[in-house]
Amino acid sequence: MKAMNEKETVLRIDLLNKRFKTVQALRDLSFSVDRGDIFAFLGPNGAGKTTTLRILLDMIRADSGSIAWYFNGQQVSLPDPPLIGYLPEERGLYTDLPVIRSLVYLASIRGMQKNEARTAAMEWLERLDLADRANEKLMALSKGNQQKIQFISSILHKPAFAILDEPFSGLDPVNQEKFINYIRELNKQGMTILLSSHQMTLVEKLANKVCLINRGESLFNGSMSEIYKAYGNKHMVDVTFENAVPVAEIQSFDGVESAVGTDPGTARIVLQSGTRLAPFFSQLAGADGVTHIRSHSRNLHDIFITLVNNHQL
Amino acid sequence: MSPFSQIITVTLWEFRRFFKPKNELIGIVVMLFIFSIGFLGGRYAASGEETKSELVVADNTDEYLISMLQESFEVTLLPADETGKHIGRISETEEGKYLQMQGDTFLLHAWEEPRQLGTLKGILDEYDQLRNMEREGVSGETLEKIFQGASLEETYFQDSFRRNRNIVAISFAILMVLAVFVSFAYQFTAITGEKQIKITEQIVSAIRPQRWMDGKILGITLTGIASVITYSIIGLLAGMLVSQFTGYSVFSVFDSLYFPSLGPTVMLFLLFTILGILFWNAFLAAVASLINDPNNSGKTSFMMVPILFVVLSLLVLNNPDGTPAVFLSWFPLTSASAMPVRIAVSSVEWWQVAGSFAVLALAFYFLRMLASMIFRFSILMTGKELSWLEVFRALTAKTPGKFQPPQSE
Repeated sequence: MKAMNEKETVLRIDLLNKRFKTVQALRDLSFSVDRGDIFAFLGPNGAGKTTTLRILLDMIRADSGSIAWYFNGQQVSLPDPPLIGYLPEERGLYTDLPVIRSLVYLASIRGMQKNEARTAAMEWLERLDLADRANEKLMALSKGNQQKIQFISSILHKPAFAILDEPFSGLDPVNQEKFINYIRELNKQGMTILLSSHQMTLVEKLANKVCLINRGESLFNGSMSEIYKAYGNKHMVDVTFENAVPVAEIQSFDGVESAVGTDPGTARIVLQSGTRLAPFFSQLAGADGVTHIRSHSRNLHDIFITLVNNHQL
Repeated sequence: MSPFSQIITVTLWEFRRFFKPKNELIGIVVMLFIFSIGFLGGRYAASGEETKSELVVADNTDEYLISMLQESFEVTLLPADETGKHIGRISETEEGKYLQMQGDTFLLHAWEEPRQLGTLKGILDEYDQLRNMEREGVSGETLEKIFQGASLEETYFQDSFRRNRNIVAISFAILMVLAVFVSFAYQFTAITGEKQIKITEQIVSAIRPQRWMDGKILGITLTGIASVITYSIIGLLAGMLVSQFTGYSVFSVFDSLYFPSLGPTVMLFLLFTILGILFWNAFLAAVASLINDPNNSGKTSFMMVPILFVVLSLLVLNNPDGTPAVFLSWFPLTSASAMPVRIAVSSVEWWQVAGSFAVLALAFYFLRMLASMIFRFSILMTGKELSWLEVFRALTAKTPGKFQPPQSE
């Protein structure tokens, strides 16, 4: 059974620790990624996500802990370049060179033949409506288009495992949706993806597993269904008032776990597990000046905020 | 993917990125054009200087003085009674020079101070001295003895080819300086520049730092060598041009080398130059790795260190077989340029050449590893630049992971 698990696991990290001068960046961090996963690696700024990714790629070394990669039935400490794709959070390409030249070079460093790389690059540029700009210098492209080129450079060589750090930043909503589809498509073709992002609504459309960290420590590690089961079973109600939010009055309603003002005139109310909506809405109808009510289950964004806020070291 | 293929990929990328044959060709043509203009212009100017300047002299002037003046001036005699008229003409035409004698005094009238005033004064001084000695009764024979130069028989033990050898040696050193300058500029673009555009993180996720560093060093070394070849071609073409005009073969300087023929000397020069450029590129790469912003880094001046050592190696010319010269030709920081200089100006035993080459090769091997180590821990330092103390601590840390760079997420 253990052998079978190891065969399916692509990446396993155990008890990873890393300390910078005054900051404990990682604290006994453990998680594993299986073949075919879209693994969401989430955390607020400074949580240790980028540090973890850099350790995975051996750019910096951990103080303790272990990392194991599994490819083709072999355990390796660091995969061969063709097996890995990496979209770093810190974007950068050769701005003074033609787009196609940079893409072919980056793919050829990862072992792709130049002709093959050129063909694949042109196919991707075509899909992203940038084929006619292949020979332009990168600096001539908009920030959003540069982001597209950066994305292409990380997956052009068809890696078995892609690490995408904030792949949606700098993209408009239309292109964000397109990228979601591209990532799904690559995953269907067999690419395992480790996705680090702050955009929870986009992540929850894609990921099947999630690891949430804060201050270098794992707060949750499991499947998306497990995180919803553990934290997403409570109902939330967003209420807008004409005037100031009567927070104290709302908190006195039966079934209310918490109520906080989010924006001026708006409150987010979390109901206790098992609270029936009809009696709650009857109470709410008695409140003065309600203009809008939206009821929904806790989404990943809400869970993320709750877990991080509750996390005490 | 094999390490070798990755290194070659990076090497070719860097070479093609920086070496532009079209630009080099344009450079050669422009340099030749400038050289031709300068050479031909110089010759024209020199030919102008050979033309004697006109000088009008009163006809009552001593004939001996006139004959002395005629050696440097185009002398025209004018009746002394027309002096006033001629001076008036100079004023009207705003040109001309007129010389006359009044007793022991010379009078010079000219529109402006003549360029040849120094020459004229020299002739007049000499004439005045001769006239005074004659007045004192010194005979012509005595005068001749006084002005006869000292008798000197010249015998030199140093052969007469030394100057030629020095020319070759200095040419070698200049080519090395050129290669280092080229490398200096490109290493900034290749390493510091990539740090600035933040592409390094993506690159090193694909390639081990040592392979990446080796590729950079090789690629920019190739660019440096290409520049050396370009400038050598320019030098040869310029030499051919000079030969055409002067009849003097510039290439005859190679005849005076100690090595039996030009081939082995050039081969040795190339070997040392290539290894020297590799060595200095490893050094420059290490320094460039530490620099975040060339405009605001105190470490930028370290990029000039190679030039200092290349120039220092020229001390070998003074005494190519003395102890300092032998040391410089073995010491890795100077040997790449000092040994070729010694080879050019002296007879160096083969084991010294081979030994110096081996030491330099070994030094390069370790320096590139050092460069890679420095690059590895400075790669993600986009904020504060590492101090030399931090570099030392990092290099001497037992495990690289234990080094705490001044950065945290």
